[in-house]
Amino acid sequence: MAGLALNGASLAEKLLARGPTSYAPWLDRRPHLDLIEQRALPELRAEAWRHTNIARWYETVLAGTERATRSRRVEFPGEVEVVDFADPRAAELLVLRGEEIFRLDAQPIAALNGMLLGSGVAIRVPAGTVPSPVRIVDLPAAYQRILVIVEPDARVELIEEPSSYTHRLVEAVVQPGGRLLHRRLQAASPDRECSLVAVRVQANAHYELSQLSLGGDLRRNDIVATLAGNAANVTLRGAWRLVESQHLDNQVAVHHDAPGGTSRQTFRGVADGRSRAVLNGRIEIAPGAQQSDATLNTKNLLASDTAEVYAKPELEIYANDVKCSHGATIGAIDEDAVHYFRTRGIDAPTARSLFVRGFLREAIDDVETARRLGVIQ
Amino acid sequence: MSERSNELTDLVGEEHAATGHDYAAGFVTEIDTDTLPPGLDEDVVRAISAKKAEPAWMTEWRLDAFRRWQEMPTPRWAHVQFPDIDFQGISYFSAPKGDAPKSLDEVDPELLRTYEKLGIPLHERARLAGVEAEDEEAPQVAVDAVFDSVSVATTFKERLAEAGVVFCSMSEAIQEHPELVRKYLGSVVPKPDNFYAALNSAVFSDGSFVYVPKNTRCPMELSTYFRINAENTGQFERTLIIADEGAYVSYLEGCTAPMRDDNQLHAAVVELVALEDAEIKYSTVQNWYPGDAEGNGGIYNFVTKRGTCLGDRSKISWTQVETGSAITWKYPSVMLRGADSVGEFYSVALTRNFQQADTGTKMTHIGPRTKSTIVSKGISAGRSQNSYRGRVRMNPGAKGARNYTQCDSLLIGDTCGAHTFPYIESKLSTAVVEHEATTSKVSDEQLFLCQQRGIDPEKAVAMIVNGFCRDVFRTLPMEFAVEAAKLLEVSLEGAVG
Amino acid sequence: MSLLRVEELHVEVDGKPILAGIDLEVDAGEVHAVMGPNGSGKSTFANVLAGRPGYDVVRGSMRVDGEDVTELAPEERSLRGLFLAFQYPIEIPGVSNMEFLKAAVDAHALGRGEDPPSAIDFVRHAREAASRLELNPDFLKRGVNDGFSGGEKKRNEILQMLILEPRLAVLDETDSGLDIDALQVVANGINAFRGDGNAVVLVTHYQRLLNYVVPDHVHVLADGRIVHSGDRSLALELEERGYGWLGA
Ligand SMILES: Nc1ncnc2c1ncn2[C@@H]1O[C@H](COP(=O)(O)OP(=O)(O)OP(=O)(O)O)[C@@H](O)[C@H]1O
Ligand SMILES: [Mg+2]
Repeated sequence: MAGLALNGASLAEKLLARGPTSYAPWLDRRPHLDLIEQRALPELRAEAWRHTNIARWYETVLAGTERATRSRRVEFPGEVEVVDFADPRAAELLVLRGEEIFRLDAQPIAALNGMLLGSGVAIRVPAGTVPSPVRIVDLPAAYQRILVIVEPDARVELIEEPSSYTHRLVEAVVQPGGRLLHRRLQAASPDRECSLVAVRVQANAHYELSQLSLGGDLRRNDIVATLAGNAANVTLRGAWRLVESQHLDNQVAVHHDAPGGTSRQTFRGVADGRSRAVLNGRIEIAPGAQQSDATLNTKNLLASDTAEVYAKPELEIYANDVKCSHGATIGAIDEDAVHYFRTRGIDAPTARSLFVRGFLREAIDDVETARRLGVIQ
Repeated sequence: MSERSNELTDLVGEEHAATGHDYAAGFVTEIDTDTLPPGLDEDVVRAISAKKAEPAWMTEWRLDAFRRWQEMPTPRWAHVQFPDIDFQGISYFSAPKGDAPKSLDEVDPELLRTYEKLGIPLHERARLAGVEAEDEEAPQVAVDAVFDSVSVATTFKERLAEAGVVFCSMSEAIQEHPELVRKYLGSVVPKPDNFYAALNSAVFSDGSFVYVPKNTRCPMELSTYFRINAENTGQFERTLIIADEGAYVSYLEGCTAPMRDDNQLHAAVVELVALEDAEIKYSTVQNWYPGDAEGNGGIYNFVTKRGTCLGDRSKISWTQVETGSAITWKYPSVMLRGADSVGEFYSVALTRNFQQADTGTKMTHIGPRTKSTIVSKGISAGRSQNSYRGRVRMNPGAKGARNYTQCDSLLIGDTCGAHTFPYIESKLSTAVVEHEATTSKVSDEQLFLCQQRGIDPEKAVAMIVNGFCRDVFRTLPMEFAVEAAKLLEVSLEGAVG
Repeated sequence: MSLLRVEELHVEVDGKPILAGIDLEVDAGEVHAVMGPNGSGKSTFANVLAGRPGYDVVRGSMRVDGEDVTELAPEERSLRGLFLAFQYPIEIPGVSNMEFLKAAVDAHALGRGEDPPSAIDFVRHAREAASRLELNPDFLKRGVNDGFSGGEKKRNEILQMLILEPRLAVLDETDSGLDIDALQVVANGINAFRGDGNAVVLVTHYQRLLNYVVPDHVHVLADGRIVHSGDRSLALELEERGYGWLGA
């Protein structure tokens, strides 16, 4: 494993020599550069990177071999305001976003996004509107940023279906009474890619994530959802199917910062071949966030003896009048069920794929898309 | 109804702990001691070894551990907070003055009184506290009493010897059974396993040693009672239990310390080895001094406990009831090597005031069809933090292995924290891992039902908490179960009543 | 002197008025039925009698045997002989029925200045009561209401009543969710309990139970007030005509 000695500190050194990009010059890159200068990029054995070798991603960043599409494909209806991140109007939208949605020191590799940003869009869904979906297919750079502001009582569906990136940052604020349905479609990829989704959900607002993933050479998704206002609601669904030596690492954190919030997390995954699937799902209830109701459920199928699954559901609770639970299982395809299918005349491979489909469906709300993407057959 | 929750907090949160009413074991024994001055270097390690007239191989073993320890950074990953420990400010050896007693008659009467007061009578007719004499059938319990750094008495040695069971202090085992000690010491918890295990390996002073020969069922419960008495002293005991093929032993451990304003370090290592068809049941009721209501003083309990199921069909079962210590940091674990071997972990951890507990287990499945069960019940009150941390790992050879984990937290009051950090790892398709965790509180409705039937709130809380822990208490030997339930009740006692 | 005397009882929850002046007198030896539409305040009244936290008594008083209990803690009211069978009995997992009952019986004995009964006497007594309600003795070993069916929970409430022998039993819809045979069993339990020294307040929606346990008085609660009282014929009339004619 040559070249894997590359760590956060040595990467920082080399990047600083290279300097930041000139895209969106209005963007204040100081915090990002500071973090990199302070050598705060994750080291190889950092707890959050136990099961993903970050050195492999650093290599890509450093080598400048990031793959990026040239094209820009963003589809949106007229009622929605969409501007390029380079546009000064994006700076105004960033002000509308309000305070930071995530802590940079907790998501240090997002600093590289800040430094190397090459393309992005800022989106505003005006108050009370219910436009048709916004689709973001491709952005023409390896480091991308998407900002979404859903104004009060607006409702929108955001679909991400990228073909390639090295780091993508998606930030969203769902203002009181608003609703954001966020679909992420992650096709199989030969690339090493990391993304961060950070969402703040205000009072009585809903955020719903539906993420369908095939594996990548290295695919890492950090998802941070904060229930910031009373009676906010977060639903996260993720389904994945990995083959060969694909790698998928989902790091999910749901923060209940205000009372009366509800969060539901459902993950289902299948790991075959020599693949590796990681899910770290954390629920954190802040002091005073009483009457929070939070659950996480993850189930994994290991379809081969050379695949690996790592699950780490966590609860961190600082309020007493709450309902929290999590469940996690790892197991094999239920051969009894397969046998049952066979006694009804269904051959074994079909039976297994039926079983897998049923298993994954618990985390899939759109079967058609899941089938098109190949998450289910 | 948050008023109600506050009332609950008052019940269990604000303690008269400061006055010590609820920590009966908080007294100090006045006794002449032979204590090394604070500080740690190779000479101190040599001095400890020399005091015990250890063979050269043992001295070298300790020095090797010491050198490794010096290279290791202090671990920071647990969900606990405390100021840096000054390892040079601790005394690493303290023992009652005089030659080691050869029989019970020679034990200093002051020491016998100390154990009497703690409910652990050392004369051989007696039984563990909590068991009334009326029950003639009550099992007898052999006790090894460890006072600060040394074992002061071991009871029932002759009767055990008749059955071929060795139950003695570690110091004695090094002299009398060097072949067993050399073979197994450090075989389960290697010297550099972790920071505190390395420290223990260098400076451990005493502890218990058990060997149960082939196809022998140990005729009585064995127990060790640990007592920290001296000020400014760390206790570093080392326990090694070996159950040979087809053997069975049940071992109980209890611990207390006086109330002092300074924190004291307890860094023990316990190693269990179960050969083919052997079974070891290890139960702990941990009641080290937890500190006062403001969070001053108390024991830092940083312990490494691990067992290995070496033989096929062997079984190791850990049960712990943790109510004491300012900080508890321990993960009694099982390496499941033998085919069809079984590991169990049952835990109740209660924290209140400013206590912090980060405890759980590691179940490592290596052999085929190995099975493990984890049941953890955490109760947090006051301003305490209570974390379950566990790891279940299915290695590639563990075909058909199974794990089931249930972690429940109960919160009392709204200023405490309850956390769950399970690591679940599997590398083979035929293994099944299931993990569940829930969080609840003593509900106002439950409390009202009890009150409506005439039961006062303090009793009601104790009863509900006891019910919550039932699945764990069930696994304790009878006399310990009674003691554990009582301990829990006392620990929950508050300003009311 | 009345066993229970409620005067001008006004109760609010979170500032919202629920009971708007209830007057009720119950003498030893009597059975009173309280009926009324959903949400009229019947359970509130029962809960306030038992001292449930969260309800503010803004005016009025409740006396048991002449003693004002309005400010007493729930357990103190219990020791004075007030018993509530809950409309929705709560579950306490892990705490066995037996253990729970023993704790309650002990508290009552100590409250009377007596020694608690021996474990053996207690178990015998509890088994007897259970068999009277046609409950399997294993029932006593299970967690309080844990996983009980709706009907079992209700029978468990009556079991507790029989064992604690209160002076005043307030039974909040204990007849709901019982099958026909169970209703008979519960009614027999209540009748066996009835005596000159005690009294029963039955909150119910149905005439059915009143065929077995014949009330001396029937009251209709509407909008937090007793709007009508009568003898047992009132219950029959309500069954036929509903509440509308009362202007409730
Ligand atoms: N804790 C509470 N918080 C808010 N409202 C309450 C509370 N308790 C009762 N109420 C309200 O008070 C009214 C009376 O409720 P109560 O339960 O006493 O009715 P009920 O007569 O027993 O009805 P049912 O026949 O359906 O059992 C209802 O409108 C109810 O919603
Ligand atoms: Mg009601």
